[in-house]
Amino acid sequence: MDNTSLYAKLLKNPWSYTTGAIILGMANITMLSITGSAWGVTTPFSYWGAWFYQILGGQPDTWFYFSQKTHAAAITAGFWNNGHSVSNIGIIFGAFLATLLASQFKIKKIKSKKQIFGAILGGLLMGYGARIAFGCNIGALFSGTASMSLHGWVFMLFIFIGAIIGSKLLTKYFI
Amino acid sequence: MSEYTLDCLGEICPVPLIKTQKKLAALNKNDILIVSIDHSCAMKNIPEWARKEGHNVEIEEINDGEWEIYIEK
Repeated sequence: MDNTSLYAKLLKNPWSYTTGAIILGMANITMLSITGSAWGVTTPFSYWGAWFYQILGGQPDTWFYFSQKTHAAAITAGFWNNGHSVSNIGIIFGAFLATLLASQFKIKKIKSKKQIFGAILGGLLMGYGARIAFGCNIGALFSGTASMSLHGWVFMLFIFIGAIIGSKLLTKYFI
Repeated sequence: MSEYTLDCLGEICPVPLIKTQKKLAALNKNDILIVSIDHSCAMKNIPEWARKEGHNVEIEEINDGEWEIYIEK
């Protein structure tokens, strides 16, 4: 295929980091002005877990975390009234649409048991970390620094340290 | 010169790049390394690195979401 066509430029080839950064910044401004809160990703996951646990008959609303004011209100309001839950679904569908438009969709095989172990352990660590840090690299770093909050910058420093340790472990166990 | 292959299907960044760097270091000048990948960001970072090192690089789209990167050392 011609690599310079408009289709290739817009939908197939990766955009530059600068283009991505500007679009993400504009999207966050839009989200903040419409919903009144800056973009976040992982806090809704804790709500998804709570709602799932409620379906199974559990009472997560008695836990300390979910009895805090904002979390308690979000749990009671439900999925469709939680803007970031809905935007998370949008991200998943948008990413899916993007791979389809670029015709790059592929179901990848799992190469080794190490990948399963790594994915589960990594997911648990990131989930735990995002809760005690009041957000992930979106809620804490991206929206935190944009809000001129110090915690975003502290988060950035420590995510670099974490990434250095992580890449040492990666080259030791996965290469 | 000889031809070598490196199967990185099912592996995500930065694993394909580091494996390519290690494999290429063990080859002789003018050898060809063919890296199979199915992770789109490896399609960006492997050629970028290899070109910076001064190697000739070609990318071929084999299938939906699957590529072969040809690197001449």
